[in-house]
Amino acid sequence: MTTIDATNPVPEPPAYAAATDNYLTHTRGFMSWAGTLDHKRIGVMYLVSVLSAFFLAGMFGMLVRTELMRPGQDFLSQDQYNMLFTLHGAIMVFLVIIPSVPASLGNFVLPIMLGAKDVAFPRLNLFSYYLWLIGAICAISSIFFGGVDTGWTLYVPYSTHGTTMGGVIPVAAAIFILGFSSIFTGLNFIVTIHRLRPPGMTWFKMPLFLWSIYATGILQVMATPVIGITVVLLIVERAFGIGIFDPSLGGDPILFQHFFWFYSHPAVYIMILPAMGIISELIAVHSHRHIFGYRFIAFSSVAIAIFSFLVWGHHMFLSSQSPLMNVVFSAITFSVAIPSAVKVFNWLATLYKGSITLNTPMLYALSFLFMFAIAGLTGLHLGTLATDIHLHDTYFVVAHFHYTMLGSALIGMIGGLHHWWPKITGRMYSEFWGRIACGLVFVGFNVTFFTQFVLGSLGMPRRYHDYSGPGWSPDTTALFFKYHLVSTIGSYIMALGFFLTAAYLIHSLFRGRKAPANPWGGRSLEWQCASPPPHDNFSEPPHVGDCYDFSVLEWDEAEQGYHWRHDLPREPGEA
Amino acid sequence: MIASGLNSMLPALAAMTATIRPGSIFGMPEQASTIAPHVDLLYDIITWISVFFFVLIVGVMGYFVIRYRRTSHVAYTDGPTHNTPLEVTWTVIPLILVIAIFFIGLQGYVHMTTPPENSYEIQVTGQRWFWTFNYPNGASETNVLHVPVGRPVKLVMRSDDVIHSVFIPAFRVKQDVVPGRRTQLWFEATRTGDFDLFCTEYCGTQHSQMVGRVLVYEPDEFEVVIEEAARWIDKVLDAKLHLAGTLLFNQCASCHTLDGSKLIAPSFKETYDLFVNGDTRTLADGTTVTVNEQYIRNSILDPLKEVVDTYPSSMPPGIGTQLGDRKVEAMVRFIMRLDETAPGGQLKEVTRAELAELGAEPEGE
Repeated sequence: MTTIDATNPVPEPPAYAAATDNYLTHTRGFMSWAGTLDHKRIGVMYLVSVLSAFFLAGMFGMLVRTELMRPGQDFLSQDQYNMLFTLHGAIMVFLVIIPSVPASLGNFVLPIMLGAKDVAFPRLNLFSYYLWLIGAICAISSIFFGGVDTGWTLYVPYSTHGTTMGGVIPVAAAIFILGFSSIFTGLNFIVTIHRLRPPGMTWFKMPLFLWSIYATGILQVMATPVIGITVVLLIVERAFGIGIFDPSLGGDPILFQHFFWFYSHPAVYIMILPAMGIISELIAVHSHRHIFGYRFIAFSSVAIAIFSFLVWGHHMFLSSQSPLMNVVFSAITFSVAIPSAVKVFNWLATLYKGSITLNTPMLYALSFLFMFAIAGLTGLHLGTLATDIHLHDTYFVVAHFHYTMLGSALIGMIGGLHHWWPKITGRMYSEFWGRIACGLVFVGFNVTFFTQFVLGSLGMPRRYHDYSGPGWSPDTTALFFKYHLVSTIGSYIMALGFFLTAAYLIHSLFRGRKAPANPWGGRSLEWQCASPPPHDNFSEPPHVGDCYDFSVLEWDEAEQGYHWRHDLPREPGEA
Repeated sequence: MIASGLNSMLPALAAMTATIRPGSIFGMPEQASTIAPHVDLLYDIITWISVFFFVLIVGVMGYFVIRYRRTSHVAYTDGPTHNTPLEVTWTVIPLILVIAIFFIGLQGYVHMTTPPENSYEIQVTGQRWFWTFNYPNGASETNVLHVPVGRPVKLVMRSDDVIHSVFIPAFRVKQDVVPGRRTQLWFEATRTGDFDLFCTEYCGTQHSQMVGRVLVYEPDEFEVVIEEAARWIDKVLDAKLHLAGTLLFNQCASCHTLDGSKLIAPSFKETYDLFVNGDTRTLADGTTVTVNEQYIRNSILDPLKEVVDTYPSSMPPGIGTQLGDRKVEAMVRFIMRLDETAPGGQLKEVTRAELAELGAEPEGE
């Protein structure tokens, strides 16, 4: 246990004191949470909400996989199946993955990484959360309006005049509202990073997580309005019959696809960029090595953000878009591969000569590298015109985007959750169960989705309730059955891993060892305040400097954590 | 130019790989069109590049994790923090590779989107949830696409409702079918056989049943088949015309049942029972209509006119014209005599040949 030496003449050292008062105990009662302006509490509220939505949509996904395990209808009718995969996709994208890292972990960590007390606009932050909540209620209420079976992509004219289900408008309204939640969060973080960096923290001294959150913020602010307008037009057409997209009303269905993907492609990077930022932190901290090629990683985040606006047409190679446009979009699509590859190589180089520990956050980071490599490389098959024609709208695409969205974005998020769990809750979880669960998720995930690459190459179309029936060849049914069976078994293993994760994390809240301020040896500012942080984050101004220079830290056996080196002048005196 | 060089290399390489393997080792389906070997070759090239980089990434990662595993609570390890020449190298090498992949993909693509001049043209209509194929000689088939081997075939496609997509895995072709536009795709089959055809753009309830068969024939056999497809209905004896409906029913099956169970449209059993009893139906506008032969015919020819209050009007209006008078007549009789054509809700099994012959089939009269 350390105390602050008030007589120290040099700038004050970080407050390592295990504060008696922290953000969790600062005030009490329901209203102290519901009306809080504390970015940490809002982050925790987001975390709980996003994980609840993840549970719900995950269950929908399990039902879908279970129905697909065998040919023929098992327990879901065609319409029920179509509703479930629609809600699985819509909830996962709009309620879970888009807000997952920025709004939950980002909210908690970002101001602390900047040494700030809060984000630039705390009220706007709370408003974003309530918009998320209204959006969530709106999306789930669609079930009571007759459901929605359009797929999360809401393609017209099916969504405007093809489906008789009444849930289309509630879901479209939810996307509109959630869009604003996302815009406000992005705007808030951009301003926070611009205005609240501490003296001495220049742009190129920021943790890379902040670069990725910044790039994400730009995408959120610039791309999201397009989806907002698009769903308004969709609602107008469906509700009032005003022809915008439906050709029978004089509209153009391809126009909708352009609008939709103009947002939804950048949205893929809204989902993956923050996870990439987490991985940069995790790999450096858990191998106690200065990040390799800081500038290349930082610039690649910005490059990804820029390129991502120019590639939406690769979702439309078969839509009847002109061949010339297809060629142009294919060419630009490949350019996105470069900054992604650069990041991977830099992460690998960071491991070189490191001191690598295989604890749970690092296992997730390494899983990310494994799965992101597959996600990125299979993007080549889909970006190439001649092969995309065969693979488009098959399970190959399903596998590719699950490797990106679940295998990379969400795995990165869960890695970050374990990394910052001691900071957020003040408790350590069980390393043993953490590693077991990570192993189950890793194995289950790959069994589930790698099989789907083969299934898609063999020709299995996506969004199919069944792969048998009057028109089906028995050979095809038998062939697809093998892979669907394996895939479903994999999904059960993965679900087991996630349930186990939930169990030991909840257990740690009550029985977990008290967390030290810096259990992993992180150098960025959030490791310089107590775990959990006090209400104002820092009782003393933290040390700014090279946030990947770990040479200032040393292990403290008594504390079971790292702290500032004794022989450095700024080191706080031992009690 | 790189592109033309690759173009001349492609067939040679394709021929080579086609002989060393029956299908793709990475799980591509059988090859049955001229472009399939090109696509598979490209797929294999990209996959091998992917395998190389994947093994490299995971191998290096695994090696570093073992080699540099933590043995003590050291807070800091020294090592390079950047190396610009190295970083530029691993930026430029992938860049060159993807440019190469792009150009190879482009070659195949240009070929795949340019139908040869002499293509045999088939009109395709996508409707929820079946395909109609119309041939130059007037033949019209549902969910069965007949094509000749060794001759380029161009599909000119339209949709009457929402977006669909034609996908024939064995031919490696796919194209969305968009309402309000004509889209096209072409292929040249290289072997005879029976192949899958899927709808790959989500189109609602029965999307997974919007599948068809592609039947590939030798050219002379193909001529016979489509001639038969155009004429069979004319050869059916009048006395057996109601049974011809059993061969047309698959077009109705996505919305209408034979056993009284409800999909999105009235079961034929329901219509038949009303017809036999001479009952009336209530229409959406409140008027009633007697279910007689005329009513059944009108419902096929002009489905939006007399709409029943209990079902939405979702039947495509063009079906009557598409079928032609004789097939409409066959369907009307099929429904009026459902006890013979589908006894107990089970479609009676007949062949086209039987319908054209006297006495080959016990008569119901």
